[in-house]
Amino acid sequence: MPAILEVDNVTKSFGGVRAVDGASFRLAAPGIYGLIGPNGAGKTTLFDVICGRQSADTGNVRLAEQRIDQLRVHRRARLGLARTFQECRVLEAETCLDNVLFAAQDKHLGSEMMQATSRRTGARRTESEEAARLLDLVNLRHLAAEPAGNLSFGQRRLLEIVSSIIARPRLLLLDEPASGINPTLLNTLHDFLLRIFAERQIVVLIVEHNMEFIMSLASHILVMHQGRVLEQGPPAAIQKSQRVIDAYLG
Amino acid sequence: MAIRAGVARLSIGVMFAVVVYLLPVVLVHSPYVLFALTLTLCYAIPAMALNLLLGYTGLVSLGHMGFAGIGAYVTAVLMKNGIAPFAPAIIAGTIVAGLVGVLVGIPCLRLRSHFFIIVTLAVGLILYLLFNNLDWLTGGAAGLPGIPRPGPINLGFAIIDPRRPLGFYFLAATIFLLVFIVQYALIYSDFGRSLAAIRQDETLAGSRGVDVFGHKLTIFALSAAIAGLGGGLQVEFLRAAAPQSYGFLENINLVLIVIVGGAGSLFGPTLGALLFIALPEMLRVADTYRMVLFGAALLALALFAPRGLWGLAVSGVRKLRGHHSALTHAGHP
Repeated sequence: MPAILEVDNVTKSFGGVRAVDGASFRLAAPGIYGLIGPNGAGKTTLFDVICGRQSADTGNVRLAEQRIDQLRVHRRARLGLARTFQECRVLEAETCLDNVLFAAQDKHLGSEMMQATSRRTGARRTESEEAARLLDLVNLRHLAAEPAGNLSFGQRRLLEIVSSIIARPRLLLLDEPASGINPTLLNTLHDFLLRIFAERQIVVLIVEHNMEFIMSLASHILVMHQGRVLEQGPPAAIQKSQRVIDAYLG
Repeated sequence: MAIRAGVARLSIGVMFAVVVYLLPVVLVHSPYVLFALTLTLCYAIPAMALNLLLGYTGLVSLGHMGFAGIGAYVTAVLMKNGIAPFAPAIIAGTIVAGLVGVLVGIPCLRLRSHFFIIVTLAVGLILYLLFNNLDWLTGGAAGLPGIPRPGPINLGFAIIDPRRPLGFYFLAATIFLLVFIVQYALIYSDFGRSLAAIRQDETLAGSRGVDVFGHKLTIFALSAAIAGLGGGLQVEFLRAAAPQSYGFLENINLVLIVIVGGAGSLFGPTLGALLFIALPEMLRVADTYRMVLFGAALLALALFAPRGLWGLAVSGVRKLRGHHSALTHAGHP
């Protein structure tokens, strides 16, 4: 089965510190995957290497069989990689609906220029139905006309995830989606991610510290330790693994 | 709902165009006011160009009159030496300014915001030095006087003669309105939305698939070209090109026009140009006091109207309307 995401022997050092030290894994089947590990295990660095915020020292990253580790961030996005940010980024001056519609629009310069001259808004109208539906799923529809800057942190996070999904990515990367969210919104997020996964059948990779959240959401867990993938398997097996317990306590 | 908003927008646009064309009819007996208004239109074009960068993309260029100067000198040299008539000459000026914009943009737009601002300042100064010192081409400090005005334009139903003040006003108004439409079309398009995203959060825009550098380069080149068009028109109006028109003070002046008028609004640059070009012309405020007055005005604006005069006007109208609807709601529970 061809892999959606393949990380092959990636290393990344900062000065004398090897943050990622030969990490390898492949995600072939659609699913929700959790990436966990103790602080300093290299999760965030590996995440940044996959998204293009950092470049790997050695090794390579493939998205649907295509090498992406040398590509700039926007090229990766156009190949179907969507991500959210740990600090949560939305366009604060735009309304929620415009945030989602912007994420959905074709951002090739040529097509944007065509759109500017032809004034065609057909695509936007088709997308706005889907945008409204997705906003409804996370209980943000009544805020569709509200600037995103007026939302609470948790609501922004939901908006950010909805925006990432509307572009129909092959791979969705979520960086600590549960951090800073109250339990009610966390439940909304949990159900939304399961619902979207059931609809889209894509690969979702989540870096997360909230164990309860990730263990109940993911079908498969990867554990990083000292820059490598230490263990992978279903949540139940991971929770019993002596190596994982040692890594967290050691 | 969307259609009604479209009709409202279109009718505002048509009203605006009618006002621009009819102003001289009202002011037919005051040639000086007509002169000031024509000059305002000539400055409003580079101001709209800068607004595309400063207001919509979040790029501050402190050398934008330099691009206007390129358009001006190219138009002037072609017209003065009889190489090309008006239309090809000003189009050449526009294109050359755009190309220089590309050449300047490729290295500069990779810089982070404050370094970019400093480099644009340097670019403006370098262009000024070139205008001032390439004597064989630009006439040096003396400039290029005696540039011929465009010949009469036959529209079929009327003949516009730009050699007369009213004729030139109509020509300037037409070019101004065309640039206004271009500004509108760019801003309210997918491209404009990508620019707004870049202004608000470059990292996010990139991760959503926006080619940040490519978009910045495109709008920078377009903006430089439009500034060049304004410069070409201005030099045709004043019939002389002088390096001082594209120097440091003029660059700062243009930034002030955009910020005071209202950066990031469609009408802001025009309002700013009216205030900075027409008002001092008509009130004859002494040059020495101008900067002091504008300094104070800018301080007041920064404190009380961070979105410029246009932004102040819009929020004022909204407040009045909100007040009004609150009253009517109270009356009909």
